[in-house]
Amino acid sequence: MTLRSGLTNPLTLAAIAILALLAVGETLSPGFARGDQIVRLLTVAAILGIVAAGQNLVILGGREGIDLSVGPMISLGAVIAGNIMAGANAAILPAILAATAVTFLIGIVNGLGVTLVRIPPLVMTLGMTAIVQGGLVVYSQGIPSGNAAPALMAFINRPLVLGLPGILFVWAIIAVGLTFLLRRTAFGYAVYAIGANERAAMLVGLPVNRIRCLLYGLSGFFAGLTGVCVIGYTGNSFISVGDQYVLSSIIAVVIGGTSLAGGAGGYIGTVLGAVALVLLQSVLTTLQLENYGRQIIFGMTLLVLMLLYGRQGRLRV
Amino acid sequence: MSAVVRSRPWLLTLIALAVLVAVNTALQPSFVQPAVLQSNLTTFLPLTLVAIGQTYVVMGGDIDLSVGAIAALVNVVTVSAIAAVGGDGLTPIIAGLAAGLATAVVCGVINGVLVAVLRLQAIVTTFATGIVFAGTALFVLPQAGLPVPEAFWRSYGATLIGLPVVLWILLAGLAFALFLGRRPFVAHLTAVGGSRVGAFQTGLSLSRVRIGAFVLSALFAGFAALCLTGETASGDPLLGQSLALSSISAVVLGGTALSGGSGGPVGSILGALVLGMIGNVIFFAGLPFAWQTLVQGLIVLAALAGGVLVTRR
Amino acid sequence: MTPGEAATAAGGQDAALLDAQGVGKRFGAVVALSDGRLRVEAGEIHALLGANGCGKSTLCKVIAGTVAPDSGTIAVGGDVVQFRNPRDAEQAGIALFYQELSLIPQLSVAANIGLGREPRTGLGFVDRRRLNSEAEALIALFAGVAGAELKPEAIVADLTPDLRQIVEILKVLARRPRLIILDEATAALDGRQSARLFEILRARKAEGVSTLMISHRLDEVFAVSDRITVMRGGATVAQLVTAGTNRDQVVRHMVGDARIHPVTSQRMPPALAEPRLTAQGVRNARVHDVSLSLRPGEIVGLGGLQGQGQSALLQGLFGALPFTAGRVTIAGETVALTRTADAIRRGLAYVSGDRGRDAALTGRSIFENLVAALLVREKRRLVRPSELDPLATRHADSLNTQYAGLDAPIGTLSGGNQQKIFIARWLATGPRVLLLDDPTKGIDLAAKGDLLAIMRKLADEGASILIYSSEDAELIEWCDRVLVFNSGRIVTELAGPTLDHFHLARAAYGEAA
Ligand SMILES: Nc1ncnc2c1ncn2[C@@H]1O[C@H](COP(=O)(O)OP(=O)(O)OP(=O)(O)O)[C@@H](O)[C@H]1O
Ligand SMILES: [Mg+2]
Repeated sequence: MTLRSGLTNPLTLAAIAILALLAVGETLSPGFARGDQIVRLLTVAAILGIVAAGQNLVILGGREGIDLSVGPMISLGAVIAGNIMAGANAAILPAILAATAVTFLIGIVNGLGVTLVRIPPLVMTLGMTAIVQGGLVVYSQGIPSGNAAPALMAFINRPLVLGLPGILFVWAIIAVGLTFLLRRTAFGYAVYAIGANERAAMLVGLPVNRIRCLLYGLSGFFAGLTGVCVIGYTGNSFISVGDQYVLSSIIAVVIGGTSLAGGAGGYIGTVLGAVALVLLQSVLTTLQLENYGRQIIFGMTLLVLMLLYGRQGRLRV
Repeated sequence: MSAVVRSRPWLLTLIALAVLVAVNTALQPSFVQPAVLQSNLTTFLPLTLVAIGQTYVVMGGDIDLSVGAIAALVNVVTVSAIAAVGGDGLTPIIAGLAAGLATAVVCGVINGVLVAVLRLQAIVTTFATGIVFAGTALFVLPQAGLPVPEAFWRSYGATLIGLPVVLWILLAGLAFALFLGRRPFVAHLTAVGGSRVGAFQTGLSLSRVRIGAFVLSALFAGFAALCLTGETASGDPLLGQSLALSSISAVVLGGTALSGGSGGPVGSILGALVLGMIGNVIFFAGLPFAWQTLVQGLIVLAALAGGVLVTRR
Repeated sequence: MTPGEAATAAGGQDAALLDAQGVGKRFGAVVALSDGRLRVEAGEIHALLGANGCGKSTLCKVIAGTVAPDSGTIAVGGDVVQFRNPRDAEQAGIALFYQELSLIPQLSVAANIGLGREPRTGLGFVDRRRLNSEAEALIALFAGVAGAELKPEAIVADLTPDLRQIVEILKVLARRPRLIILDEATAALDGRQSARLFEILRARKAEGVSTLMISHRLDEVFAVSDRITVMRGGATVAQLVTAGTNRDQVVRHMVGDARIHPVTSQRMPPALAEPRLTAQGVRNARVHDVSLSLRPGEIVGLGGLQGQGQSALLQGLFGALPFTAGRVTIAGETVALTRTADAIRRGLAYVSGDRGRDAALTGRSIFENLVAALLVREKRRLVRPSELDPLATRHADSLNTQYAGLDAPIGTLSGGNQQKIFIARWLATGPRVLLLDDPTKGIDLAAKGDLLAIMRKLADEGASILIYSSEDAELIEWCDRVLVFNSGRIVTELAGPTLDHFHLARAAYGEAA
């Protein structure tokens, strides 16, 4: 809503970064920016973007909000969905419901730990990571089981309308819905309020703990949904399939302009952040580099991106 | 009671540690034998050292996710420097230690400058620098290998004046923490973590204090790397990957708030030992392997919850 | 930082202790200072006055090195200086009391007072004993007026607002400055505490130390200052000698041609209706067995020294610090007030004077800050800014708030203008019972007049108002009756002829003196 001059706006900068990465990719390997390639990249970004939605909410809610347990919750969601579907199209809906319901409840437990017991979110969700991961090991005995229904795989991997797979539409709906939620509903205003000043939020009558619990629940929900997408994307799952999403979801949120201190930011930035991150990783794979070179460039690029627009304000103004 | 605990939250960690030691001794009577104690301490020492350094960064309101990568980098730099200097005697070892610790300081300064001078958010910055450091470690030493001279690991496993070297190292870490705790630096660090604006308006030099904390954190990660080198007697570019998150758990278990402005390294030392002992107890409780992670998570959360509930007003 | 023209480095005896000329500062599009001028001589008490948002705090921060000026020169003792940070200013003998306080909540009183200049032992350790004894000596300056919680070991976060403010004062004094700058240092202090502060300042003045004080309380300005500088709209408009001027003149300089409400209230006899709100034998941490009843149309004051349970009573009635015993009725109906949302939906509103802690949604827009309570009161689910904008603007304007636009972040407003937004937040809910907890902290004379007019209007429309103020004059002029508190209990009720400074002071200090 605030009119900021174009270049200091995180959204503009993220968009510029995305275009620059596309250009670099195209130069390095012609065909990189071809339509079907971009759709492919967007699909990967959508999966990241959906977990990042939950991560975004938790971070906006402040009080050091962060959810490290999205990794195992994604794995859990994938395993549950895979086992319920077992390759049958008819079971897709129950699979989605079961996966997201379970992870939603796990998220609520995170929320209760953070609000009622006042455990710092970082360690609460880290502990939950161990518990869910351990639970998965106990449940599956380490042997992957279950597989995706063909219709789900088609929805995620095959063009549906206008050459775009269904998951992109789901992501678009989530983006619009979440932005509407944050900008146009009392709930969204409450999320920013508790992120900005919890005591003040309590004094204007907001049920601070209930909202915060719900945010963690939603993070669980989105992680479960991501699990379903992951198994739809790859066909089957293994018990650490979600691990790679933990830090990348946080990075997508942060390079999208949401402050880890809470109370400032939004989901559109996170969408761009997810796209930029996936693009960057893909550009790096097209570079014929040793593993170490890829890592160093990846880390450096993240730093440069943050230098461009992730800086905190000066104390001396 | 609760007032005493609130000003010294590590008392609870100490109680938890005592309980775990008792349980462990009951499950494994040989636990109290000096050799067993020494081998346990050898296992816990790296995390304990990293936790000490991490505490300073956390007290200042920041966080350091790159400690694991720094440990790996210091390890490979040390073994490579020893190999490069070559020959017998102490010269290569001293060169290796110096190169390793210098690397740590450089890493700490890089983190500190990015966060305190260029004003980036610590959590993502140190994640990113961690990737860079880890990549550099792979560049220095692509594969695990390069054994260190016998003198290195022998002296690490030796005893000095009747006590194992590992115990001396732990005591030195504790002594350093107590020493620094009485210097103005820690008061200033707490202030910077408690309120950035207030500390600035009071005239403190925020960047110097925050960079100092990151250097300490990196340096302790470097010490941990040297201990790991003494333990494994060779280089490994992938070492220490769990150190970052475990050290943060140890810091929190020790009663330091992640929001900054409170706590101290003594609690973190206890927190690291508690984490190690939880692993021990679970192992000796004869749980099936598949259950171990689950139970470990539950115990850690229970310990945290217990601590918070007791200190609550 | 452009140095501007070379200052009049006259040196010698006519060099002022502080001479600031043509200081300018803009924050984005907002011009906070256009022409700040200020000359403070050695050994004087100098008052800096002006309406909310006229640039007083910004000028002080420039002088203390926390804000970088865009233009202008500052000379200390005749030498032009360019402070790069607060440390430079401290070395030049300048220490600032920050309007929003510069304390570290987690640290002890002694650690805060000594922060950055800790005494050391031979080993370079912090000399805790000396740190504490130095703090002890400073605390003794406020002995008898500050409350026993103020101890060197006490954690600042646990202190009441007045004590925190005293700690900030002590922190300034501990630096032994040549120039003490106090940016509304008495805002949360009661009469005795302010009087003690002025005694201290006079003693320092005798030693040649100067004080620059900002205050919206003209009584104290005329009582203690030697000279007055008045600012308006970012520029210095008058430099006066206190003895040679009067309140009307000063106020005219402050407001220009703007009209101000007379700060008096025509008292209406309270309606003989049923009580709107009653409390019987309520208790919580700081309230011990209080009973009261509030009729529609009444403005009732809570008097007494700082921290005698007035704030805890208001927070208890609002459900923020729930009562552990007793009974509360609203419009005859017994209610359990355990959640603020319940209180708000029953038409209660609570305005806190501790805005940084209790009110500011930091980093969010003025609009969000203003409508926060309204959304809860009306149980809205959807928010349409275009629909709420006119209402928000109306309430912000009713107190003459100065702001660039509703979308600007709250932090870009001056302290007093922020407070006006937080009052407007509650006026927007159309409250039936208004609980005011030192609401005028930091707001200027004109806004106080506006607030009083609004309170009167709400009361005449049937609302009930319960107000605590650290300024006795407000209670006397604004309230129909005043309940005087001591140690969590009501000790006296004053009304009509007994409601004056003398009786209020006697009742407040009564047992405590
Ligand atoms: N950090 C900032 N960013 C943007 N605008 C600011 C900032 N600080 C102050 N301002 C603006 O500068 C102007 C002067 O503010 P200042 O705080 O100096 O007022 P003041 O005279 O101290 O008022 P008060 O009596 O309310 O404390 C105000 O319009 C305010 O909105
Ligand atoms: Mg001000």
